[in-house]
Amino acid sequence: MQLHGWEAALFYVLAILTLFMAVFVVTARVAVHSALFLISTLVNVALLFILLRAEFVAGVQILVYVGGVMVLFLFVIMLVQTRAEEESRVRLYTGQTTPAVLIALFLAVSFYFALNPAQTAFRPPDSASTPQTVETGELAKAGAGYISKDTQEIGEQLYRQAALPFEVASLLLLVAMVGAVLLARGSKQEKYYD
Amino acid sequence: MPLIAGMLAPVAPFLMQAQSTPFLKRFEPTLVNFLMLSFLLFVVGVAGVLSRRNIIIIFMSIELILNAVNLNLIAFSRYLELNKDALAAKGLAVNPLAGPVFTIFIIVVAAAEAAVGLGIVIAMFRNRETVAIDEIDLLKW
Repeated sequence: MQLHGWEAALFYVLAILTLFMAVFVVTARVAVHSALFLISTLVNVALLFILLRAEFVAGVQILVYVGGVMVLFLFVIMLVQTRAEEESRVRLYTGQTTPAVLIALFLAVSFYFALNPAQTAFRPPDSASTPQTVETGELAKAGAGYISKDTQEIGEQLYRQAALPFEVASLLLLVAMVGAVLLARGSKQEKYYD
Repeated sequence: MPLIAGMLAPVAPFLMQAQSTPFLKRFEPTLVNFLMLSFLLFVVGVAGVLSRRNIIIIFMSIELILNAVNLNLIAFSRYLELNKDALAAKGLAVNPLAGPVFTIFIIVVAAAEAAVGLGIVIAMFRNRETVAIDEIDLLKW
């Protein structure tokens, strides 16, 4: 798991950028800014995926989230946006700060106690002797332009072990598509089709 | 006194490494660093869901939460992949590819959720002319 050299430095840069962008998503006044910061967060997380050698998931993240979902978000913001928020005439927050703080504290405490055993348990099993750091086999010899087997292996896994969930997911997407069209149609169209 | 010792326990391995390894080596990210990053991302998302008024930004915060989960899954998958042999020696058979597969399904469900949710937002905006969640209170008693 350990990253070395420039990869370690890159992890910290990406982590800090991700967190700052995530905070900006939550605190931005204009919803379009929020969406743009969310795009930045998603790209940063995709880069972290590449750092973790999950190239296929990183590609899917960029294509589906940044290319698809965020465009949808931007369209809806432009359809729905009222000028009131941008001109700072309305409140941004609901004002339920007490439950928010309580839940955040609960999460922090629970994570602290979860991390307690994790710190020792998630070291490499034989970390006393050799840290599991060196890439072995073909990856070590590979130079630039090396294509990892990640995509191929995930494809095999998806179509062999997870074939049924895969089909169910496609059905889910179909239902979501039809549902979205049905929900978002206007009253004029409703009259026309009824 | 035991309380303070307990609070220091998570950082104890970090402190004990101090003599043996060079200074910069101690900051190299391991699985736990990824878990921390994912946790912080999750908390930021939860804070957004609980505190914002604009329903579209609440949806975006949910995307943040889902991304934190994805990061967690991929980090664990990488950890299992690197330690597969050591775990097999202990008699634990692991499948590191389950992480990416679950991540892809999470992305699919997130896309479907965003499509349906935003459809509902548009329908609601057409009826009530608002996207503020505390003004949409017809079902509240």
